[in-house]
Amino acid sequence: MKLKRVTAVARKTLRSLKHDRRTAGFLVLMPLFMIAIFGYTFGGELKDISVYVVNLDEGTVNGSASASMIDELQSRDVLRTLEPSWPDGYAQSVDSVVDNVRNGDAWAVIVFPQNFSSNVESAIDGPADYLSSIQGILWIYIDASNPNIASAIITEVQTTVQRVLLTQYDIASPVLISQDMVYGEDAEFIDFFAPGVMGLAAMMVTFMLSIISFVHERSTGTLDRLLTTPLTEGEIVAGYAVALGVVGLIQSLVILSTAILLFQVQIVGSALLVLLVVFLLGVGNQGLGFLLSSIAKNEFQAVQFMPLILFPSILLAGVFWPLEAVPDLLRPVSNFIPLTYAVEGCRSIMIRGWGLGEVWPEVTVLVCFAAAMLLLSTYGLRRRR
Amino acid sequence: MRKRSVKMVGATREGDASQDGRAIVTRQLRKEFDDLVAVDDLDLTIGKGTLYGMIGPNGSGKTTTIKMLVGLLKPSSGTAEVLGERIPLKGRISDIGYMPQEMAIYTDLTVSENLQLFGSIYSMGQERLLERQEELLSMVDLSDRGDSLASQLSGGMKHRVSLACAMMHDPEVLFLDEPTVGVDPELRMGFWHHFDDLKARGRTVVITTHYMDEAVRCDIVGMMRQGKLIAEGSPRDLMDRSSTSNLEDAFMAFSKGVAE
Ligand SMILES: Nc1ncnc2c1ncn2[C@@H]1O[C@H](COP(=O)(O)OP(=O)(O)OP(=O)(O)O)[C@@H](O)[C@H]1O
Ligand SMILES: [Mg+2]
Repeated sequence: MKLKRVTAVARKTLRSLKHDRRTAGFLVLMPLFMIAIFGYTFGGELKDISVYVVNLDEGTVNGSASASMIDELQSRDVLRTLEPSWPDGYAQSVDSVVDNVRNGDAWAVIVFPQNFSSNVESAIDGPADYLSSIQGILWIYIDASNPNIASAIITEVQTTVQRVLLTQYDIASPVLISQDMVYGEDAEFIDFFAPGVMGLAAMMVTFMLSIISFVHERSTGTLDRLLTTPLTEGEIVAGYAVALGVVGLIQSLVILSTAILLFQVQIVGSALLVLLVVFLLGVGNQGLGFLLSSIAKNEFQAVQFMPLILFPSILLAGVFWPLEAVPDLLRPVSNFIPLTYAVEGCRSIMIRGWGLGEVWPEVTVLVCFAAAMLLLSTYGLRRRR
Repeated sequence: MRKRSVKMVGATREGDASQDGRAIVTRQLRKEFDDLVAVDDLDLTIGKGTLYGMIGPNGSGKTTTIKMLVGLLKPSSGTAEVLGERIPLKGRISDIGYMPQEMAIYTDLTVSENLQLFGSIYSMGQERLLERQEELLSMVDLSDRGDSLASQLSGGMKHRVSLACAMMHDPEVLFLDEPTVGVDPELRMGFWHHFDDLKARGRTVVITTHYMDEAVRCDIVGMMRQGKLIAEGSPRDLMDRSSTSNLEDAFMAFSKGVAE
């Protein structure tokens, strides 16, 4: 293995990308596009979420605390509050309203119980944690099938109630809403998926570039030509790996800076370690693309391989939702997808601030993946002669 | 150092071909694709410093023979030596140059970048590389197109780049598979002057062609048909033996078995 020849191959690969402005632009724009689309879709402000409000509050002589909170909720645009229609003007059981959530007409039912106002008034002179000690001061029946929407509703109700309590009643005590929050606020969700998108983009690009370039090299005869020179198979593979690894790195830099600048994503741990993880993932996928290119006879067949590799990775590697959301039956598949480890690693580094001391298992898996792919593709190429 | 030890390994009972003036020797070289015999027990000897022309109709096995010699195809049986080393070459692989029949250049690189890639694979120094690049660009008359993307060249120009790529490292043995296809007549003449030059410097050139006016300029012409060598000799000799006045007729005569 001669370094000079490896760099010759790497340089030629990068140069051809440089000349192909559309592809080069695509390499930079695609991750931007992905992060923007996903950022705004999942992380952006949610609006007009349908919820029913059931106000059973009987009020006190001083008026109704729930009324001002409902006014406040309605003055904002996150929730669209619906009035339950009581047949015959008769207040039926809350359960019949919750049916609207069960059948998908609304995302939640917010219930202010009869003694809501009196509870609030008692809190004015009560101990600081008075309200948070009352179970069920406020009820939310929620459809948690979409964690983003669920958390948006809870966040909205929580902040609105607390704002009204503070401004109108001078109560700073938190309110206990009987609901477990699965995900945090918007910003935290971005923090969750930014590492995922980064890994996914790096993987997609290195895999696609590699399989297409090699099918092209094979079909145009340039690969044959390279094989009649002193270049060894290992040097060709290594040259490509370096070039595509660099492409993955550049992409990750673009994604990281976009995530930081546009979406205020925090990187708690080392950005360099994140880049190392992405580089390993890129090198491994380059090898995978290379291997599959020897099975594909032309560009058309190569394109058919892409969904085969990309779909499981998108769905099962924990990019957009946690691995815990993957059905048990498919969990073993997740464990076989290298992207799973890259995403997990990046996430731990970026959110938890973990270092190599903690993410070494993920890094080890990726090193093995990259090494195995490089060796296999070298072997595959050698077998051709 | 490396070359010498490999030579020893490649040497055969009949002596080291690289020392007895033979650049290429094949013995019963055969290639089958399923039940099709592309090259049929070919025995070929090409001396050093020879301009050797391979002619024959489409599918007669010219490309297959060359591909085996440069190590891209594994013979079904038989052996061959190039510069004294048994194929597939290792030690002497830097001493051969190969221009494939298909236009195998990187169309998403510029002309100079293509040349530089092949130069740097052979570990040529920067200075030598640029010098050689200039030489070859002027030979293929593309001096002013060095910075053009290869994809923007005409078909014939691409062939010229491909030829230049094979010659960057000035190899001892050059395999050129139809190097002049699509090249205009004037430039073709220029190429042949250049091939004569190479020969004068002791280089061995194996060329396949369908142009008889080119074949006539070779030292030795090998006529191939259905994977076999049906006749071989200098153009003059071949015409005399078949009592014809051109190589086309000579080929017809040999393939009908009229001559010899
Ligand atoms: N990869 C392959 N698989 C199957 N058959 C092949 C393959 N390559 C060549 N052949 C067959 O081998 C025979 C010889 O082909 P070859 O390319 O050597 O001919 P050629 O003399 O170079 O022809 P041309 O003048 O058209 O270039 C042909 O019948 C061809 O169909
Ligand atoms: Mg041919």
